[in-house]
Amino acid sequence: MISLLTENQKAHYEEFKEFIKANVEPYASKWDYNQEMPDDFISLLAKSGYLGSNIPTEFGGKGWDFVTFGLLNEAVGRGISSLTDLLTIQAMVSMTLLKWGSKEQKDRWLNPLAKGEIIGAFALTEPNVGSAIQNLETSFKKKGNNYILNGRKRWTSYGEKADLFLVFGKDEDKSMACLLPKDSPGLEISPIKNMMGFRAAHMAQLNFHDIEIPESNIVGKPGFALSHVASIGLHYGRISTSCSASGLLRACFEESVIYSSQRKIGKKLVGDEGMIRTLIARMGTDLHAASLLCYSACKAEDEHTSNVYEKVQMAKYFTSRAVVRAASDAVQIQGANGCHESSPAARYYRDSKIMEIIEGTTQIHERMLGKTFVEKAAKLIKAKI
Amino acid sequence: MTIETKQATKEIIRNFILDSINIPNLSDDDNLFESGIVNSLFAVQLMTFIEKSFSIEVTMDDLSMDNFESVNATSSFVERKQNHNQ
Repeated sequence: MISLLTENQKAHYEEFKEFIKANVEPYASKWDYNQEMPDDFISLLAKSGYLGSNIPTEFGGKGWDFVTFGLLNEAVGRGISSLTDLLTIQAMVSMTLLKWGSKEQKDRWLNPLAKGEIIGAFALTEPNVGSAIQNLETSFKKKGNNYILNGRKRWTSYGEKADLFLVFGKDEDKSMACLLPKDSPGLEISPIKNMMGFRAAHMAQLNFHDIEIPESNIVGKPGFALSHVASIGLHYGRISTSCSASGLLRACFEESVIYSSQRKIGKKLVGDEGMIRTLIARMGTDLHAASLLCYSACKAEDEHTSNVYEKVQMAKYFTSRAVVRAASDAVQIQGANGCHESSPAARYYRDSKIMEIIEGTTQIHERMLGKTFVEKAAKLIKAKI
Repeated sequence: MTIETKQATKEIIRNFILDSINIPNLSDDDNLFESGIVNSLFAVQLMTFIEKSFSIEVTMDDLSMDNFESVNATSSFVERKQNHNQ
């Protein structure tokens, strides 16, 4: 994959890896254990411009291409998945605003998002609604020029830290989305602790009690919040998550290779065992395939091709499943050592499973991709008859 | 936009839809969304396709099903955007 990168992209990738090695890897286990992403580190990340890497320069971002954005997510994913979750939601909110925000919304919010002065959060999932987002229970009711927001959101990444929420719900049968600042009267934020993985991602539950939403805070238009607004956010979330999973896969691979070349079984190294080599062979091949799928998805985004959604779904589907296999094998290679939190393999194992859940589960991707592939195949067969 | 250009625009849009979904034929006035021919993800795919193919940008103000509900509607929308950009 490296050979496909431009010199500029390669230089950025080296910069990202050095940043993570110096500023994340030594502390990742501690952050995970404490379930805390320290504010001073988030400030450092913001200062580096990494929270606005893909936002155009006219709005204060770095304006990097999506291949570079993918490399950033990969490098961060190698360090700790909880941190890529921050890049994920920041991109989901920023890119959704960039596409569907009004001029006033863009002028007000994109610059502080790009500079990391504020953190965004994507409030879609609810206690009773996961994948079937058309059944959202959060309600918007028109009142004069405003809307009244009521409802609950759950599993909102960085909800505890966020300054600005992009909230989805419905006004009768019309889907709605709005911007909700953290200090809005009627907004109650409750941290959710003890997640299995992504433990430092400051998950939260949000309760909305008769919150007045000015019409100027509505994003997109009524009726388009799920089909167009959420779709765009989830799309960028999948790009970020795919690359993050690829980075975690690299972590599993590197950890396994190092362990196998140092740990002895009798007079032999673990890595001399054919059974272990089988696991590492699968992991290394999956890593290469994941890198290529992520590159292809990011490149399609840069080129704005109409098959970009399919490519991003494939990257998300493959990498999230491959990293679950890899993390399981990384623990297996280390035996009991891998089952203890003194080994990063234990954290990799816990984090990997989350990759299959967020931004569309594996099963949702199978439904979407299965439909796409079957319809394409059906057309090819008809054309031959 | 000349009649030939209008026809070419329609053909490009029609071919994209027919290439993307498994239906035998499509009339230019068939309502894509009401008939359930396509899902919501396709709406975003179609939007991305016309942005790329016709060098236009779909913005918040353009969010109306009237602009995308059929081949004819989408073609007219593209024409309006292109005229506006000139």
